[in-house]
Amino acid sequence: MRDLRSKSKWFLVLVALGAIVMVSGSAIVWTSAEAQEGGGVPEGFKKEELPVAPSAEMIEAGKRVYFTKCVWCHGVDGAGDGPAADRLWPRPRNFNQGTFKIRRTASGELPLFDAKKPIPGQNDLFDTVTHGLPGSAMPSWEGILTEEQRLQVLSFVTTQLVKDRKFDDKSSETLTVIQLDSIKPIPSSEESLKKGAELIVDKKCVECHGAEGRGDGNAFNLKDDWGFPIQPANWHKCWNFRGSRQDPYNVKNIFRTFSTGVSGTPMPSFADNTTVEERWHIANFVNSLCERDSKGEPLGIDPLTDKPKINFVMRSGPAEGEISDDPNNEMWQKRERRIVLFGGQITHKPRNFVNRIDDVWVKSLYNDKEIVFLFQWDDRSKSVATEKLPFGPTEVNLDQYVKEQAPKTGEPDSIASQQSKYTVYNDAFAFQFPVKWQELPAPIKPRYLWGDQKYPVDIVKWEANGTVKAFTGTGWDQDFQDRDDFTEKLKVLKQEWKDGRWTLMVSRPLKGDYDEDTKFEMGKYIPTVFFAWDGHNGDAGRKMAVSAFYYTVLEPPIPKETYIYPTLIAVGVVILEGWVLTRRANKKKGKKL
Amino acid sequence: MTSLKLVEGFMPMQMLFELALCVALFALTSHLLSKSGKAMPRFWQGILFWVFIVSYLKWRVYPPIPFSVRAMYGFVSLIAVFMWVSSNEEDWKKFKQPIMNVLDANTGFHKALRTMFLIAIPIILWGFSYNSFLPNLDEPVELRTVHPAPPASTKVHGKTFVLQTSQNPFRVNPEGKYDQEYTNARIVEQSMGRLMKGDANPWDEKAEGYLKYVREGGEIFFQNCHFCHGDNLNGRGLHAFAFNPIPANFTDPGTIAQLQETFIFWRVSKGGIGLPNEGFPWASVMPPWEQHLTTDEIWKVVLFEYWHTGYYPRTWD
Repeated sequence: MRDLRSKSKWFLVLVALGAIVMVSGSAIVWTSAEAQEGGGVPEGFKKEELPVAPSAEMIEAGKRVYFTKCVWCHGVDGAGDGPAADRLWPRPRNFNQGTFKIRRTASGELPLFDAKKPIPGQNDLFDTVTHGLPGSAMPSWEGILTEEQRLQVLSFVTTQLVKDRKFDDKSSETLTVIQLDSIKPIPSSEESLKKGAELIVDKKCVECHGAEGRGDGNAFNLKDDWGFPIQPANWHKCWNFRGSRQDPYNVKNIFRTFSTGVSGTPMPSFADNTTVEERWHIANFVNSLCERDSKGEPLGIDPLTDKPKINFVMRSGPAEGEISDDPNNEMWQKRERRIVLFGGQITHKPRNFVNRIDDVWVKSLYNDKEIVFLFQWDDRSKSVATEKLPFGPTEVNLDQYVKEQAPKTGEPDSIASQQSKYTVYNDAFAFQFPVKWQELPAPIKPRYLWGDQKYPVDIVKWEANGTVKAFTGTGWDQDFQDRDDFTEKLKVLKQEWKDGRWTLMVSRPLKGDYDEDTKFEMGKYIPTVFFAWDGHNGDAGRKMAVSAFYYTVLEPPIPKETYIYPTLIAVGVVILEGWVLTRRANKKKGKKL
Repeated sequence: MTSLKLVEGFMPMQMLFELALCVALFALTSHLLSKSGKAMPRFWQGILFWVFIVSYLKWRVYPPIPFSVRAMYGFVSLIAVFMWVSSNEEDWKKFKQPIMNVLDANTGFHKALRTMFLIAIPIILWGFSYNSFLPNLDEPVELRTVHPAPPASTKVHGKTFVLQTSQNPFRVNPEGKYDQEYTNARIVEQSMGRLMKGDANPWDEKAEGYLKYVREGGEIFFQNCHFCHGDNLNGRGLHAFAFNPIPANFTDPGTIAQLQETFIFWRVSKGGIGLPNEGFPWASVMPPWEQHLTTDEIWKVVLFEYWHTGYYPRTWD
């Protein structure tokens, strides 16, 4: 253990040095770029007037809103240090310096805010409060606060809590606004996507966002303006882009963020060193990476959660003969994939407030012997423990090693500063089914978290070191029990981490020992729960990401009755038609007679 | 499109208003049409109206209504349309005239139409029944009791609380006495936005007693509960999207506003795992908070929840 610590210490020093070199390096690049422009307006931007300061009444009214709704995360002085701050990641914003993420203004400028103009698209801060920031803890306040109340609270924040700058100070502030509504977008085309793909390498986007854009490029060296570690966006989950709520597949979001940058983070504005045309190509390309359905259409986004819509039924399709271990094989390509969403395990200690894995894509096939699951999830790092772990694979009570709570902000080892610095454990993935589900009186299920004494569960857990094991779970605080006989029959058909994504294919027999192992039957709903651990997040034991109950169903082949009955019905209808026509004809004849 | 969005919290009102508006528009158009001598036949009016209702239910209402319920509404509105078109003998004749024309097939056009119907109806019905005979792999519907009957008493951290007689020790007036009237006068206002009263700010440095406890409860809430129940206590927290069923919405008048404070204390202390079977303990991720918090902290959180939603806890008398 000591060895591991001292090693990671050296690693940290190296990382810190690297970060310093990088940050200062980029600073030099940016100042020189600005100097070359000579203070001119970047392409696509236009100078605008500063807004008038909000009235004293607005500010006073806003204080009431702030201390009812906002203070809990953003803190009494707006320094982003409210009671909740230490358990959030990304952290709540510190308003004091006037750095705001989503802007239509040029790099370094304050965002657009006018207390008299609640117009979407012309008032950055108003839009942020209205829509929240997807992918962070900032919720949408639409429908909760009235427009007036949103303007009031912003009047308070911009005048009282932004302490270093003044929104209406003509001597120090300017507004250079990107003309999103009048710039003509370049429609996406093969040509444009090709140029975009080249540009993201040229402009070094891939250095942070990764070769495939999964945010895995420089995931562990980035810090925000306040020294808290942050991570680059994953381009494949556009519903988590800040400033994209209810319209995540709109390329304009990306164009805006790329043009203006994200203040307070290492994401710079590219307005000065790209042309508008280049920016559209990049935006088109980034937008094309966001997850889509099998027809290439945007995923359905649930307007209540702003995440992809979930179907809780996980279908496994029948396969003839051997099931391929290649996800690109036709039999896998034809299968519909389903998304499973994860939350942090925050029921029992140690809780996971900042789960790094928030979804997994699942496909499944079965034949007469086995059922195979294909899981694909994004994880910015491949984590395999380099040393022998101090706990065994069946142990679940790891409070000694896995910390849920950390000291307060500012103190060493706070949860925010800990990010990415945990001892590295194995990435892992598991799924559970009830044992003897056939005998469960519906709708009773074993508890979502590893079953209970009365209703044990069948758990299959894979770890990144290549092991896959079968366990029996009998409760959230009960160590797993090995099922060695069944473990021997499990197979990892594929495990690969590439460019920020794990691909895992696991096979298990359809049946085993009835009393211990889940037996699959066609057409039956078998309650299923999925679990994922990110080794770089210090996830082990109960610190993990967990899904709700899903149902695994083996799709039955279509029975003969499905063809017979409808045909009988159709024949019946034809006879009925004949009867109606004859009757009508007779009636008419009768009338004529 | 933004103006057409369904706004959370106003959906039922908004939908009723929209439907009323559409019916009014419908009546107005048909009135204007008939005035200008181009009256739409009763037959098409009826069909158009019914199609409108059915498609409104399918495409506009969110969250989506299950098919069985939609079928019921569709059937009821079909009956309504029939009653409307058959309100007097003349209307009824007008309505069925087009149908009879097709049945009699006196013109070439009607003959073609009749043949088409005769062929199409069995085929369409075959398709429908084929679909309904296909193995159905939809999500099973499971209904759980949201507020199951509580036990008579509950033991938390070694102390027994009788639900009928226990009181929140922090619901007190400046003299330190249990006082609902005093505390209820200091909760947030039950109007849009639910904002605190100007003179009752828990974050005021001089806040003492009740308001100070509210702040402490809020701090605990935002360190533990808001991940699921949300910043506005509406069940839309950071992790809520992954859950099924979604976390409780305390701003809904059907949750804490309907319950006694001691009921909440029991639910918070024992969590999902402590629910009786009708409450689906297996599916609830609600922690048994006695594992994380002291009894005082739990009482303070309960106090905060009533303060922040602007509801009075229900009393036993």
